Amino acid sequence: MKDLKYRVYFENLLSDVKNELVAQALDDGKRALGFSCYFIPAVLLNLDGCFSLRLRAPGTTDTGIATYYMSEKTCMFSRSILERAIEGGYNFLSALMGTETCSMMNRSQEHFEMLNLVKDVNDKFYVTHVDPPFVMKDYAFTHYEKQLRIHILDKLRDTYGIDTSDEALMKAIDEHNEVCDVITEIGNFRKQENPPITGYEFHLIELVSEVCPQKLILPYLKETLEEIKARKADEKPWYRVRVVLAGGENDDPYFTKLIEDSGAFVVADRYCYGSLPGRERIEVKPGETPLAAIARHYMYTSQCPRFMSQDKVHGRKQYFKQLAEEYKADGLIVEQMKFCEYWEYERMYCMNVMESEYGLPCLGIEKEYVTAASGQLRTRFQAFVEALELKKIKNGAEVK
Amino acid sequence: MKFFAGCDVGSTYTKAVIIDENGKICASTILRSKMNAEQSSRMAMDEVVSQVPGLGSVENISYLIGTGYGRNRVPFADENISEISCHAMGVHVTDPAVKAIIDIGGQDVKGIAVAPDGTVKNFAMNDKCAAGTGRFYEAIARSFEMSLEEFSSLSLKAKNVIPVTAQCTVFAESEVIALVGEGKAPEEIAAGIQMAVAKRCFVMAKKAGAVNDITLTGGCAKNEGLKKAIEKVLKIKVTELKTDPQLMGALGAAEYARRKGA
Repeated sequence: MKDLKYRVYFENLLSDVKNELVAQALDDGKRALGFSCYFIPAVLLNLDGCFSLRLRAPGTTDTGIATYYMSEKTCMFSRSILERAIEGGYNFLSALMGTETCSMMNRSQEHFEMLNLVKDVNDKFYVTHVDPPFVMKDYAFTHYEKQLRIHILDKLRDTYGIDTSDEALMKAIDEHNEVCDVITEIGNFRKQENPPITGYEFHLIELVSEVCPQKLILPYLKETLEEIKARKADEKPWYRVRVVLAGGENDDPYFTKLIEDSGAFVVADRYCYGSLPGRERIEVKPGETPLAAIARHYMYTSQCPRFMSQDKVHGRKQYFKQLAEEYKADGLIVEQMKFCEYWEYERMYCMNVMESEYGLPCLGIEKEYVTAASGQLRTRFQAFVEALELKKIKNGAEVK
Repeated sequence: MKFFAGCDVGSTYTKAVIIDENGKICASTILRSKMNAEQSSRMAMDEVVSQVPGLGSVENISYLIGTGYGRNRVPFADENISEISCHAMGVHVTDPAVKAIIDIGGQDVKGIAVAPDGTVKNFAMNDKCAAGTGRFYEAIARSFEMSLEEFSSLSLKAKNVIPVTAQCTVFAESEVIALVGEGKAPEEIAAGIQMAVAKRCFVMAKKAGAVNDITLTGGCAKNEGLKKAIEKVLKIKVTELKTDPQLMGALGAAEYARRKGA
């Protein structure tokens, strides 16, 4: 396939947190609001005068200082974020929107405050903590909506004078939905037998939409969508098998590329920072306030293994199966960052039940934040591809 | 007569096997790997080609498959297959009764469950560090001032097992030196090392779902002390293969080559 016009540009945008579009928005006087967890609705951070920025720490090598503060028994993502903050890499942020979801990120955010990070260059900088619910109950929904109001909207209004009225929220929802529609349309090409896009390219596209001001990245996304519509796939599909990639935090497109270099097309991205869920439209029901619609949307679409009720535990496996059917996947890869408190259990559980109870072969991978030991990872991916391929041959399917 | 070959470029040793149309082994070699995987594979293939009368050149091999960590760098290979699949197939054609493998190579340990047709049923892999691998044994043998062969049988004489707590190759080596300095019996320290590695192998085998009819492959399969320790922790007898267990990856690759190129 012909290379995407903006592939290299997108790769460059991902090589630095303060990329050229972030710098442009800051020059325009917009406020950058950092967050990492799905339970912080990005739409609330994209009100007029500010923009959302999902935190990454590209190019991380050593996390020595963060490890001193947080211990080595914490996930490398949370330590990498703290290390980059200590280095001054997030000094342009106006606020950090934290959540009481995973204790690792919670500790990382806590150290932003304890070490007075960012605040020494921006005295208005603050860290806030939202407490998302553990259960799907009406009282939990009320609590979550209130948390979003108090810890996000009211703080933005009081600290930076941001308009948080219902009208402003409705406008933000419309703009958010516009981005989601474009990403979803691009993502749907992955359902095709011979798609005009790779999983790696989609990973780049989804990630730039998370880490760039959405108003500035949207024209590039729209142009890329038109390009993909007109793009001709190679005569024969390039992949040997199709897989759903699921798991915890994953903002490393080279991880996806490594899987694809081993012959497996990543057709669906069900991981933190992925699009499933994440890029569904927010619908405001009649009589519902925009904030209630946002809270309902994020609470009910979340597939986070933090939810422990049996319906959610089984629902997550059903969701994998549903994605596999929808995107015609042959198998599932579940990745988990070392010391991730939720996905560690979820990965082991999936490895035990996905094939036997859901008929979906599963490969579990424990990874670091930065893709390392790629030779060994490649061996695992290739062995999984070979096993899936043989299974297809046994089932009489044609192998590419 | 058509010939088929497998070339397994491992991190420590490069192995090559040539088989004929009937799957009979005609030539094999095990050479120390060079830094350059391409050079290692050329040397190994030159060696096995020279063992087959009349074959003359690697180009006369009907189908060749590369495997091992350097599988992408075998210049004359028709394709490459992961060493996990190749070890399973190599063991299957050697002894179809074997259902599980512990492969202890130069830089990782793998547990592989083998399906009845020789394909991979399940696998688990430890590659986080060199603990329990060929590299680990080389370092430990060095601290005992012994050859690998001498070290591998040392623990067989032990009456007690002195636990070695360090998992890391570097720290284990330091711990061994300290224990030797304390005057502990070398064979009992060696037994502790074999037990520590056997425990890692146990975990890999269980993760892969191995139950019985298990064998060892890779260079460390020749380590008698380790074999005994594994039998002890797994509480089952390890199946002896009639072909050199270090050749299983290359043999499996050659068998895949025979099936694909026939």
